[in-house]
Amino acid sequence: MGINYGQLVRGDRIHASLLHDPEAFADEMERIFVNGWVFVGHESEIKEHGDWVTRQLGTESVIMVRESDDSVKVLANRCSHRGTALCWEQRGNNSFFQCTYHNWRFGLDGSVRAIPFPDGYDTPKEDLGLDAAKRLETHRGFVFVNLDGSAGPLADHLGAAGYELIDRLCDLSPTGEIDLSKGWIAHRVQSNWKLWPESDSDGYHVGFVHASMSETTDTYYDEVAVGGDAVRRSRAVDYGNGHIELDWRPSYQRQLAWLGITRDKVESYCEALTERDGTESAEQMLWDGPPHAFLFPNLFLGELVIAIVEPVGPGEMIHRHTSVQFEGVSEDFNRRLLRQTEAAVGPASFITSDDAITAERIQAGISGTQRSWADQDRGWIDLSRGLHREQIDETGARSSDASDETTNRGFWHRYLEIMTEQV
Amino acid sequence: MTSLQLKAEVEDFLYREARLADEFQLDEWEALLTDDFHYWVPAGRLEGDPSEQLAYLNDNRARVATRIRQLKTGKRLSQLPFSPMRRMISNIEVVDQGDDTISVKANFVIYEIAAQSTGELRIWPGQAQYRLRRVDGSLRMSSKWVELVTAELGQRNLTFLI
Repeated sequence: MGINYGQLVRGDRIHASLLHDPEAFADEMERIFVNGWVFVGHESEIKEHGDWVTRQLGTESVIMVRESDDSVKVLANRCSHRGTALCWEQRGNNSFFQCTYHNWRFGLDGSVRAIPFPDGYDTPKEDLGLDAAKRLETHRGFVFVNLDGSAGPLADHLGAAGYELIDRLCDLSPTGEIDLSKGWIAHRVQSNWKLWPESDSDGYHVGFVHASMSETTDTYYDEVAVGGDAVRRSRAVDYGNGHIELDWRPSYQRQLAWLGITRDKVESYCEALTERDGTESAEQMLWDGPPHAFLFPNLFLGELVIAIVEPVGPGEMIHRHTSVQFEGVSEDFNRRLLRQTEAAVGPASFITSDDAITAERIQAGISGTQRSWADQDRGWIDLSRGLHREQIDETGARSSDASDETTNRGFWHRYLEIMTEQV
Repeated sequence: MTSLQLKAEVEDFLYREARLADEFQLDEWEALLTDDFHYWVPAGRLEGDPSEQLAYLNDNRARVATRIRQLKTGKRLSQLPFSPMRRMISNIEVVDQGDDTISVKANFVIYEIAAQSTGELRIWPGQAQYRLRRVDGSLRMSSKWVELVTAELGQRNLTFLI
């Protein structure tokens, strides 16, 4: 008897039990994080041969490593002999991985290099390598994997919109390359992981949860998310496949609002974009800025911040973020991005710390709900805001006012598709 | 001033700074800062150039003023209510004494209740490195750098004054 997801995820509401149910969590880790495409990291984190970082994909620890032929591989962080974790730090550089239990040694590609006293085995060495992600594809340095190889091509998952969102960010770098190697900061939150795709793409809460910030500092969120209808023309967009955006572009009152800076301060940056793409296109980019979008199931393109949503347990997760750094800009420019990231995101930040508390309060609120209550019409979470005013464009994308729950519904719609797919 | 007198004065300062932070006496705490104060909590050791790293917290004087203003709005959800908390400071060492700057290291443990959400007891062990300067006869703090024992593991909300 599995969970009847169709009964618990409706077009205008979802059942709160899905935010703490251990059985739902186990299903998600398998169907979303093992059977589907997930974001792992960025190639700029592993520039040299042998550079590696560890990551948590659902409940599995993996190693993302740069091989000697320049390719990227994602390996299980688990010795194929007795399961010992091979890497216990967040990053490093090695020419091979060696287990500390019986000294099995693996190449950067996960193949067995040496086994002590090998005459104890008549299994072919090729069968003793590390588990590796069965499919791996990259786009603009963003590394995605499908662990079990059962998903279709990445393009089917990302769709045109997923690629466009990543491109829109990377194109803002004068060289088209971004760098994510300044390290990741883990924000540990006592909430279900699914509250974060929602929070990261919820335009309704900004004026309330973040009132203390807008009262304290001048921020462009006042015009894109909080202000009245006269200034706020932002849109909540559902591109399908769970990829969603809060599109601030129509609300920006000036170029570079997203950078919190005026043009005269970054003239050489603007010139570099113009030189590369021509005046018209560069001027538009300076208006548009980076996307505020979530790519299902775990990648937040948070303007100039990148975050990974890491499930830990039904009521525990990590929001792990880093700062986007551009290639081809001044050191001051990139330092500015670091300081902007610290202000906005993380445990001590002015913004997402208040989202974390909100997620923990939701978790506290829903932790007693039971699946069976769905029949009693109790324990529902309402996601109906703006249903009556959504518009669908020629690509099939749905959009509505930025305060509407189009993004939240988009996430849950994809969730339902996956959780009810016939395997 | 003998080294014992200096030590006593430094200890008095650190204990007062700790109590003001614990009790969210925000204006009084802010009055301890010099105009060039730097506040830093890295996601690793206290090493390297702070400006080149992504930290939990890296406030210049203007940003720490913003931090305090935000706490004082009464709408800062992650400190609504303020966390009940107390910290212990120990192992205080005056590690350097220049013409006008005194460098001090001390260990601390903070016990904090997450009264804003889960109510769990959170424990924050670490070392703080202070630079103190005499302004108009009394000590003020020109930097406070905090190295958390758990720096690399990630943190829960850190929106009080650490």
